[in-house]
Amino acid sequence: MSVFTLPQAVKEEVLLKDLSELVDHHRDRCEPYARILAANGYSSASSIAELPWLPVRLFKNLELKSIPDDEVFKVLTSSGTTGEVSRIYLDKAAAATQTRQLGATVQSVLGPKRLPMLLIDTKAMLKDRRSFSARGAGVLGMSTFGRDHVWALDNDGHVDLDAIRGFLAKHGDAPFLIFGFTYLVWLHLYEVARDNGLDLSQGILIHSGGWKKLVDQAVSPSDFRARLAEVGLVNTHNFYGMVEQIGTIFLEGPSGGSLYCPDFADVIVRDPVTWRELPPGEPGLLEVVSTLPTSYPGHVLLTEDLGVVHGIDDGDWPGKHFSVLGRLPRAEARGCSDTYREAA
Amino acid sequence: MITFRFGLDGDLTAPVDDRLTVGDERVVDFLAKVARKLLAPAVARRHPELGSLGYFLRPAELTRAVSRMRREDAIVFPRGNVFHVPPANVDTIFVYSWALSALAGNHNVVRISSRSAAAADTILAALNEVDADPVIRRTQRMVTYGRDDALTAALSQWADLRVIWGGDAAVEAIRKHPLRPSARDLTFPDRTSWAAISAAGWRAADPAARREAVVGFSNDAYWFDQAACSSPRTVFLVGTDTADVRSEFVELLLDVVDQRGWQVDAAMAVEKRVNAYGLAATGAVTALDFPANSVTAMSLAAVPDAPRRWIGAGAFPFAEVGSLLDLVPAMNRQDQTFSHFGFAPAELRAFALALAGRGVDRIVPFGSALTFSAIWDGYDLPHEFTRLTTVAP
Repeated sequence: MSVFTLPQAVKEEVLLKDLSELVDHHRDRCEPYARILAANGYSSASSIAELPWLPVRLFKNLELKSIPDDEVFKVLTSSGTTGEVSRIYLDKAAAATQTRQLGATVQSVLGPKRLPMLLIDTKAMLKDRRSFSARGAGVLGMSTFGRDHVWALDNDGHVDLDAIRGFLAKHGDAPFLIFGFTYLVWLHLYEVARDNGLDLSQGILIHSGGWKKLVDQAVSPSDFRARLAEVGLVNTHNFYGMVEQIGTIFLEGPSGGSLYCPDFADVIVRDPVTWRELPPGEPGLLEVVSTLPTSYPGHVLLTEDLGVVHGIDDGDWPGKHFSVLGRLPRAEARGCSDTYREAA
Repeated sequence: MITFRFGLDGDLTAPVDDRLTVGDERVVDFLAKVARKLLAPAVARRHPELGSLGYFLRPAELTRAVSRMRREDAIVFPRGNVFHVPPANVDTIFVYSWALSALAGNHNVVRISSRSAAAADTILAALNEVDADPVIRRTQRMVTYGRDDALTAALSQWADLRVIWGGDAAVEAIRKHPLRPSARDLTFPDRTSWAAISAAGWRAADPAARREAVVGFSNDAYWFDQAACSSPRTVFLVGTDTADVRSEFVELLLDVVDQRGWQVDAAMAVEKRVNAYGLAATGAVTALDFPANSVTAMSLAAVPDAPRRWIGAGAFPFAEVGSLLDLVPAMNRQDQTFSHFGFAPAELRAFALALAGRGVDRIVPFGSALTFSAIWDGYDLPHEFTRLTTVAP
């Protein structure tokens, strides 16, 4: 069972039709979205790249939803570094769909059964209200795909070696799930496994959360994989996703180095000067498309991440495979009203 | 932690025995020497914006400023102690504000942002290199310090005049520190600036004049990323059926910006999309046009929808109005500079009279929006920096 099945040509045909219908769906139900399309003079698209995209940051500035207030079931928020918060509105159906499709995506590499789960994080983090929305929601969301959860870090954020050893003694001889943020896995699992001879060979690691902290330590994604393989952890899958397209994750294939798009999603890399789609091998701005957003117009989003498509239908799984290369810096005004905030 | 960037180290609020006069020779001499440094070819090449500052500080200009301070009906004296809080990133503002105050004979403390850019360092280096009468360093001091409420409070108690640049937030933050009852603030809050083209004037101008207008406008807009208080943002097309004027203007602007090699990077391009889409989403803008990353053109639904906040470098909402007078109801106290092309002097004067001081402080031709002058934000700065004594025999 996998959601990574469609060759690119087939996928594009399906997605173009579904996404075009979603454009109409949201245009009929979300007035601000309809106004944007009208101002851009959009009529129709003959390819996915022609579909009208929204800058992802619009969800921080505007209330964009395609459902009436009384059907809002859940409001998801993401905190950015600047303190602005995206607000994503889900009705019951959209909430159910995102959970189901996220499950189907991870089951593509975990299999249909829930596995024992080692969380490379601290339970205390769930209580920290400030960091909860970003990190806690990710951990909680993913924890539903495992069982017999064990936290690898104690309440102070230190490695709880006894807990890890206990988990491995009980579950280490059959496939188990490890989940955590990439830099926490690097800081707290890799070195501990190496220094203590832990056997992680049955583990399947799913991790996310950006590479910036690791790049600062000169650890590339391929170093990360290679080092973890040295301690026996060969099944590792990085993923890329965002709250503005909740339920859709782009998952690293078994041989590593590339993220793959599930059947209901795709990526476009755009030239930030001409805004045209770039061919494989040329880096640009990442646009992500997904058919999951039905309650808010998040089906075609221009991210502020840079990426590159490595190939099409020539990797572990069908379709495009790509990498995220980093984040676009935020543009800043340098005018008169830019005074020092410390001036109080 | 205080870093002393110019002037003597030590207690900033301690009493000083020195006295300067209005137009003090020692100050004039010092500023003139600074001007020579800033006008040196090597400096002008690196920081062209320092050229206009150097020009402003030339002896002839200084003499003119001093003569503006004198008057028949009163004896003019320095106001006293002046505490300046200039903006972080428009490097040259602090010099204009401080130089006029020094020229008026005040003792000044200027707080320079730690985030100030390279041009500010060049200015400070020039100030420090100049051979000045020792009184200058005892009475004129420039410092950088981090968040230090106690020091800001002490300087506020010391000051007879406090000059706060940098927008509403800065004014509000610094106003939490009380002044002495006799002192007052000179504030430069958030401002909005506009541009207007007379369609008739545009059509009557020859191609060279149109191009020259666009060159001036592009300097006004792109210097400081269209984020200075005087940078024009919305462009009003004054006349009827002005679509031809707008399209030729945008075409020329694209060409001029391209020729200058001014780039808008990907981050700024995204920033502009976010803002433009946001304006479209609320209905303020009915059409978006992205001919290149350097120029974003938008059609406003109505004049009052013109945004008053920064929306990116090279972002131009357009709106058509029948005459300048139609803009009067939309202008308010926040509006500072109104740059223009193609209007008759009488039209501009009628516009100013109709505004009646309720908004817009400066009406200037394209290319002059950023040119600092002694009358700024509706204040006559040389007068603000002095006090008057009357003698009736």
